[in-house]
Amino acid sequence: MSGDAGHLPSRAGTEPGGPPQSLPRQRRGKTPQMLGRYPDYDVLAEVSHWDEPTRRVVLDRVERVPPIRFFDEREAATIGAFCDVVLAQDSEPRIPVLAMVDEKLFERKGEGYRHADMPPDPQAWREVARMLDAAAAEQGAEDFAGAERDAQLRIADRFSQGKLDWEGLPVAKAWGLVMRDILSAFYSHPWAWNEIGFGGPAYPRGYARLGPGQREHWESPPEFELDPVRDVTERGLE
Amino acid sequence: MKARLARGLKGAVRPAGNDSSLLLDPNHPSAPRPQGMRRYAEREPVDMLIVGCGAGGATLAQRLARRAWKVVVLEAGPFWDPDKDWVSDEAGSHALYWTEPRVIGGSDPVELGKNNSGRGVGGSMVHFAGFAPRFHPSDFEVASRDGVAADWPISYEELRPHYERLEHELPVAGEHWPWGDPHGYPHSPHPVGGGALRMIEGAERCGIEMRVGPVAIANGSFGNRPHCIYRGLCLQGCKVGAKGSPLVTHVPDALAHGVEIRAECMATRIELDEAGRCSGVTYFSEGRERFQAAEAVAVAGYSIETPRLLLHSTSARFPNGLANGNDLVGRRVMVQGAPQIAGRFPEELRMYKAPPPEIASEQFYETEEGRGFARGFSIQTVGPLPIGWAEHVLADGHWGQALREYMRDYNHWYVIGALNELLPLPENRVTLAEETDANGMPVARMDYSQCDNDRANIAFGKQRMREIVRAAGAQDVLEIDRYAHLVGGCPMSDSPESGVVDSDHRAWEVPNLFIADGSVMPTQGSANPALTIMALSARLGERLADKRVTATPKHRQEVPA
Repeated sequence: MSGDAGHLPSRAGTEPGGPPQSLPRQRRGKTPQMLGRYPDYDVLAEVSHWDEPTRRVVLDRVERVPPIRFFDEREAATIGAFCDVVLAQDSEPRIPVLAMVDEKLFERKGEGYRHADMPPDPQAWREVARMLDAAAAEQGAEDFAGAERDAQLRIADRFSQGKLDWEGLPVAKAWGLVMRDILSAFYSHPWAWNEIGFGGPAYPRGYARLGPGQREHWESPPEFELDPVRDVTERGLE
Repeated sequence: MKARLARGLKGAVRPAGNDSSLLLDPNHPSAPRPQGMRRYAEREPVDMLIVGCGAGGATLAQRLARRAWKVVVLEAGPFWDPDKDWVSDEAGSHALYWTEPRVIGGSDPVELGKNNSGRGVGGSMVHFAGFAPRFHPSDFEVASRDGVAADWPISYEELRPHYERLEHELPVAGEHWPWGDPHGYPHSPHPVGGGALRMIEGAERCGIEMRVGPVAIANGSFGNRPHCIYRGLCLQGCKVGAKGSPLVTHVPDALAHGVEIRAECMATRIELDEAGRCSGVTYFSEGRERFQAAEAVAVAGYSIETPRLLLHSTSARFPNGLANGNDLVGRRVMVQGAPQIAGRFPEELRMYKAPPPEIASEQFYETEEGRGFARGFSIQTVGPLPIGWAEHVLADGHWGQALREYMRDYNHWYVIGALNELLPLPENRVTLAEETDANGMPVARMDYSQCDNDRANIAFGKQRMREIVRAAGAQDVLEIDRYAHLVGGCPMSDSPESGVVDSDHRAWEVPNLFIADGSVMPTQGSANPALTIMALSARLGERLADKRVTATPKHRQEVPA
């Protein structure tokens, strides 16, 4: 937790919890796990208004799930399970984050920096997979993918707080690295945009309704208004 | 009467000496086409060889070309065709950033790449938010006034005419600016989104004034550049062509006046002749090593690549790197503290709409008794897109179900950020790492650590922003610590012992080597640096062309602009 944001939830436990009970099911288009605040909003219904290069890049994420080429089978199982845990993707449909991360690493797409005490990004990812498996083994599981959900959550929680140990890997920085790649993949996917009500690409059409509470004609109203800070606190989600 | 006339002329005054916006194709206004560009022979020395085609390099090239100098610009990245190369998409804009390997260290390491390092014709301004404030007069005399950092060897007054001219060239839109040297802007302020309206109210309740602007986005069409469409993807390159970057503001005019821009050419060494003058630059193009001869060289690779190139250009005369006899190259590299505070509001604000740069305050810019630290900060709006917002939520400690829930609430949040003036420290520096790139050139390593004054400044800025967000009616608040804007690393100074270049950007140790980018800044203020980088290059270009700087091409005759 950063700073003195004392009103925010303390990380009290690792109860898996779930989405808020009244969160609507998606009625139009797809969202990850088919839940979201905008049940009638489908950003992919707007593709005809996007410019061609943008359309290609975004639709590729939906239509062309790349094969696993960077991770080996065991790493892929571990990292796949880890992605599900830290993104709370506990059922289908899932955004294929493992495949998206694997492609980035396979294509050696860098971010433009490496911490002096960190291995290069691809190696750091492999070390994280080994570290997670070792942490799962300590809990009596064969590997991370085979561990109970509770054990996976406990391991992820310790990882997030920099409390795992792994030779040659500064764990807090490794958490930052893997979460950066995972979140970039997940929130680049139009199903996630449906879930959060993001308007998406708007070239060449643009946005015209900028004021508080205003929407373009093709944007949908929310059907859920819960403040997550309160909800997460009250349900002891963290 | 005068005020009414000025209002009536808002947006109507064409910039003098720069036809870029008229030279763009009205059907493809987001970049010029390099077809028909003049070409120079490699063996024939050009008058000025510039390394880097961003804010510093492109502006210098355009100014010199207008005065009939023969100019070649080497640019490591591509010559963009925004219609094809750019997308209205956060993750898809990866190619805009300098993502070659670099190493970061120190106690407060600075993440490089998408947040601060550009690549390609137009440089980092291609993906900058668009804020284009001036520095304050106080920025040029920080040591004298506040007893910290350094004074500049030039004053605000020397940059003022260039600021004014560039504000017409970009052009800059905003309300009358009451801070620093008070001034107006050539274009009227843009409309702002719901979040910014909230923040203006919140600030007002705290006795803090926020104003709309200043942003380098034309309000209305500008030459052949169209109106902004408020799609919110300024940081992903402006496909529209409404936001100013050298690609649309200076490159078209530079090309029309005979500049050659050699894209995808990575400079690896500046070569010296026996007399100790630069003879040209060695560079890699399509995997082959090449050499361009030049009468003078200007390095404009920004605060990481400029020191890297100098440090890598070793010779018998300069065994520790070119112009580095006093071990100053790469030192005093700076970033601004850029903490952000997000507030949650009952109504939807949809912060992805409207340009992220909307409103700003420079009320806390200078040192104030009683705060307990020197210098200050500015406050601006941020408007992160979903991936940026996810980084925000993660930084506040959330993942899993909680992160998903915060993310689903995206449309209810709005974000403001500070730019804190962090002080230039000699141990914050760029050096060469052992690791090498594809051309065999050692990659840059940047070490960065904050001092106590920096920490106090950031903490104070965050407190003020929390007050604003709360007063605006936020139900909840999240925060993130980050950095913005590289500058420094090759500071200008009034003596060879205290900096790398003199007040004319000329290396103290090499008579025909110039540095024309943000790395020459001795201090950074709390202003976004783009406009000042351009103003410095515009001033340098004028002085070189007027022959007020010696050691420039001897044969060149005065040519009227």
